[in-house]
Amino acid sequence: MDSSTASILTEVFFETLGYWYIIVPTIFLGLIVGGIPGFSAANTIIILMPLTLALDLQSGLVFMISLYCAARMGAGIPAILVNIPGTAGAAATPLDGYPMSKQGKGQQALAISFVASCIGGLLTTVIALAAMPILARVGFYMHSVEMIVVMLFGISLIASIAAQDMVKGLIAGFLGLMIGSIGTDVVYATPRGTFGFLELYDGVPLIPALVGLFAVSEAFVIIEKRVIVNHDNEPKAPNWTDTFDGVRIALKRWVHIVWTSIIGLVIGVIPGAGASIASFVAYQQSRSFSKTPERYGTGHPEGLIAPEAANNGVTSGTLVPLLVLGIPGGATAAIMLVVMQFHGVSFGPSLFENQPKVGYGMFMAMAVSYVIMFLTILPLSRYMSHVTTIPTIYLAPMIISFTLVGGFVPREYMFDMYLALAFGVLGYIARRTGYHVAAILIGVILGPLLEKYFLWSLKKSDGDIMVLFSSTLGNILWVAFAMSIILPLVFGMRRKRKLEVPAE
Amino acid sequence: MASDPHKPPRQIGGELVIPIFAVGFTLYFFSTIWNSPWTAQVSAFMVGGFLLLVCAIFFVRCILWLRRGQGTLGFANLFTVDDLRTGRIGLLATTVGYVMFIDRLGFTLMTFLFLAISMLILAKGRNAGFIILISGAMALIGWAVFIWAFDTRFPRGWFETTMQAVMNNG
Repeated sequence: MDSSTASILTEVFFETLGYWYIIVPTIFLGLIVGGIPGFSAANTIIILMPLTLALDLQSGLVFMISLYCAARMGAGIPAILVNIPGTAGAAATPLDGYPMSKQGKGQQALAISFVASCIGGLLTTVIALAAMPILARVGFYMHSVEMIVVMLFGISLIASIAAQDMVKGLIAGFLGLMIGSIGTDVVYATPRGTFGFLELYDGVPLIPALVGLFAVSEAFVIIEKRVIVNHDNEPKAPNWTDTFDGVRIALKRWVHIVWTSIIGLVIGVIPGAGASIASFVAYQQSRSFSKTPERYGTGHPEGLIAPEAANNGVTSGTLVPLLVLGIPGGATAAIMLVVMQFHGVSFGPSLFENQPKVGYGMFMAMAVSYVIMFLTILPLSRYMSHVTTIPTIYLAPMIISFTLVGGFVPREYMFDMYLALAFGVLGYIARRTGYHVAAILIGVILGPLLEKYFLWSLKKSDGDIMVLFSSTLGNILWVAFAMSIILPLVFGMRRKRKLEVPAE
Repeated sequence: MASDPHKPPRQIGGELVIPIFAVGFTLYFFSTIWNSPWTAQVSAFMVGGFLLLVCAIFFVRCILWLRRGQGTLGFANLFTVDDLRTGRIGLLATTVGYVMFIDRLGFTLMTFLFLAISMLILAKGRNAGFIILISGAMALIGWAVFIWAFDTRFPRGWFETTMQAVMNNG
């Protein structure tokens, strides 16, 4: 980085700080829209498009970027407190976040999540800035074959979740994959398993599935208890100690934050891949290489850090192909592209020569947003965590009504509310009979993507299955995938042997 | 392995609901792709085939549990009399009603009715005044944020139409 770039970056950073009056309210807006299933940064920017277009370019960019970052972080808050991920990108967060809340550690969990999100987001922003030309090429090298392996990294999480009861876990995961196959196939558009509903021709919409499996089913389960938090773990009065404990726990695991956020960054730069894939892959990798994999799913801080750091790493990743190549990495980036084009911004490498303040300004807006978010949101964790002490007789109906309507929002079909209810019944049965709803959801989210890349690969090779091993990068990823399955088993066996030695 | 005599028998009937649903759905799915091009079949046959295999293993496991007397074909893990006492059945009925009538009554009115009735059921009629107050407040906040401020296309009914007329003329 030469001195002129450094001076531009410094100048832009301080200029962006001057927009605090836009960033602070936008952060709170982002936390709200991110936390309600069905709302997201993308559709909020669309709804507020007239406002965004009326603002000058710099203000509009700061608004969109801070909303994007805050919504990503906001999706994790209900996931931790009430087991309801605000978006599919936070679907792996409740695996360990919610058990922490039930143990009365909601405040700690929120602090851990905020630190992981902010450091992950901030760090990947810096890395994205520094390595932009290299990262921009990642999208070119990731073809359908390579994407199959990336999907398998995420899907293999089903096996990890299934560890307690392998047969039931596999039934849940593969049922999810089957449900995810509903809709038309990507090559000939043949309808499959749609029960004759036109609304299912595009596949199973994710938000109703998420709402039903997590929110509705959880609401029916929590009414058995007076409050969410376990009786003997009721949280103390608001205090700073738990927040600082959470910060300390997260900072102690800084290496974990770094590598899981980099997973998010790399997946984020691949157009079409998203936060949900990144968080599942990061969780699976984190568990695979952990010294205490058996603690995952029970309220383990590392199981919370991994998905949160990764899905915030995705936010900076999606900007790279947008700015360098003009290819949006996700829905929000696509909307940003429209707004920036309206203001006459042209993308590509020339952006950083002709309008460096715009190019670098987007990353700086992200960095500033994360810094301000950390300072404004962290103190609130002590109050937010008290959602877990609201009596369930009030909380459960509120969860059901607002999330069911959230299921309606993305496509505005009444059908989607019925679908959310049907998924709610499925989720409730699954919870009561020992099947993991997260395994079903992983299948529903990643199944269609895996099938799409698989069919594209087969189509390109005229049905030759060996195409899966035809590329160098693909083969490297296959080896990495095999290692990520085998090495944890080897480490586990060695640990077991070490523990057995003293007994002998 | 000797079973614990104090432990209630495993309710296998409830545990079989999802595998039976999975098998039924997979067979239905296969029937919809039987004459389709291979692109529509390949992934479904692979995933569905494996799912049928795992379900078959689970069925065999259940038969073994039943033969050893470690479980019954009961559904106590899914439905019990407690579901009536805790208000779960009532909550399910109001939820179904919410989804069915929201299109006709609109978001605000239906949300108020749903929240008030469900909370009253769960609270067994206690704190009626507070419940009605909180239900009204939540429904109005929902209307103000989602419909008035964000202009989201939530289902609209009498209340939303009236408020829109009031706003336009006010």
